[in-house]
Amino acid sequence: MKKLTMTKKRNLFITLLILPAGTGILLMAMILGQVNIAPSSIVEALFHGTPETVSIILYKLRIPRILMALIIGASLGASGVLYQALLKNPLAEPFTLGISSGAACGAAFAIIMSLSTGFIFAGAFAGSIFVIILVYLLARKFGFSSPALILGGLSLSFIFSSAVLLLFAFSSADQVHKALMWLMGDLSLARYDYLGRSAMALGALLIVTLLYSRHLNILSFGDDFAASHGITRSEILIIFWVASMLAAISVSLAGVIGFIGLITPHAVRVLSGPEHRVLLPVTAVTGGLLLVMADTMGRTIVSPYEIPAGIIMGFFGGIFFLVILLKRGWSG
Amino acid sequence: MPLFSLNNIHAGYGEQVVLHDISLAIQPGEFIGIIGPNGAGKSTLLKLLSRQLSPREGTLKFKGQDVKAIPPYRYAPQVAIVHQKLENLLPFTVEKFVSMGRFPHQRFFNRAKARHGQVVEKALDVMDLDPLREKPITQLSGGEQQRSFIARAVAQAEQVILLDEPVAHLDINHVTQVMDHLVELNRKGTTIITVLHDINLAADYCSRIIAIKDGTIFTDGAPAEIITYQAIESLFDTVCVVHENPITGKPYTYPVPGKYRK
Repeated sequence: MKKLTMTKKRNLFITLLILPAGTGILLMAMILGQVNIAPSSIVEALFHGTPETVSIILYKLRIPRILMALIIGASLGASGVLYQALLKNPLAEPFTLGISSGAACGAAFAIIMSLSTGFIFAGAFAGSIFVIILVYLLARKFGFSSPALILGGLSLSFIFSSAVLLLFAFSSADQVHKALMWLMGDLSLARYDYLGRSAMALGALLIVTLLYSRHLNILSFGDDFAASHGITRSEILIIFWVASMLAAISVSLAGVIGFIGLITPHAVRVLSGPEHRVLLPVTAVTGGLLLVMADTMGRTIVSPYEIPAGIIMGFFGGIFFLVILLKRGWSG
Repeated sequence: MPLFSLNNIHAGYGEQVVLHDISLAIQPGEFIGIIGPNGAGKSTLLKLLSRQLSPREGTLKFKGQDVKAIPPYRYAPQVAIVHQKLENLLPFTVEKFVSMGRFPHQRFFNRAKARHGQVVEKALDVMDLDPLREKPITQLSGGEQQRSFIARAVAQAEQVILLDEPVAHLDINHVTQVMDHLVELNRKGTTIITVLHDINLAADYCSRIIAIKDGTIFTDGAPAEIITYQAIESLFDTVCVVHENPITGKPYTYPVPGKYRK
């Protein structure tokens, strides 16, 4: 009986923490912006559609953007959890594995070529899939638990970042600016036209991750341990590709947003413990809210200018990680 | 029918062949200690049985069936292994950790919760882990940790448990605790196959000892039959004396320090 109440207590605590915090963040994201909207008008606009301008700002601009940030933050967070369990490496996430740089390179190419938004999405997606395949080949050579994978990912990251800069050297200033904004993870350029379909794909993938939560628990103890439980190579590959698709679709939609996949799982683990059945959904929700928060800050700090969410995340993520590092030391 | 039968097995890693022409049969209910010098191939033999490694030549049969024909998810519910070291240790509670052993039985939507719960309870009980069930495994002493690892294996497969040096680095109190628990499991019908580097532990606890040297079986039999000073000296290329342990009546081996050798 005691154990039930303990787990339940923890889950209750997490819910009581996230529910008000989440509501607060989402409300602030609707209120704040170039035009601040009073909370009372939000209710009015959401339920009665008056006044029309407010209703349009909310339904056409802010809510799609919030939804986009939520689903992308959730996917990046979940993807980080999956990679960390799979690679047994606390640094594993889409950014450190080079997937974001691959996407950046593909997107930059499409932007420099003045191709349409559809091609930017396709370019980013192709770029990230290309890097994922390279990472997969490294994994086949060294095994999924090898630190060589992160080093390989970082090398790929450098190579593709240089390729982006090389592209810039041959391009006009305004194209470079447009590409730069994309590279910095700017949700104002997010591909809303793909929001519906991508959100469905990402949502489905997130549900799949939950089906594998017990595999992930076992996998995080090591590959031999997993094999002795009868976990097969093909199951490990499925998890790798689910993590990779979550990452690829997210970065293709919103550009390079680092650190969510890295810091969210680490922060959540402190509360939720290592069990993936809890860790995964809580990380997804927290990651989503974190990106909404970063994006809201980016929209308001120097309004009417916008700071891309990727930059905000870079600052806060880096500082957060350093603080944790200094406080707890490096225990892996 | 033997539980395991190995016929002319050769095995190794990459270019290197570690085991040569191994043939043996293991019956249900045995308590087997695998001994031998470092690098002789003890762990490799265990890896064959746990299917971490496939034989390069020869056949390995489990209950009369070639293991190559048994998919991993059918093998895991029947044979469990306690690894010498886990790659990564996470702060799961003892109970959650032991429950992982049920994974191979639950994977195809077979989630008869009550029965799995019972098996886990039994495993915790037999390893005396009930008072520790809520503790994270990362906070346990070496002996308690080892008992949790064994309990997880018990929850996975009651029939056969393989262990790779389960008492290395433990103090004598924890060594006896862990070994006594293995005896208890064996008494209840579990076949135990364990790699041990301590000859005396193997002699005191095991019903059969398989000694490996240079990748082949050196001797194989009951402790009283095979542990003689001649055998141990040539197995380990050293000098030693064998007496009878006054408590257990089993052979007891003393290595002779260099300066006392004549």
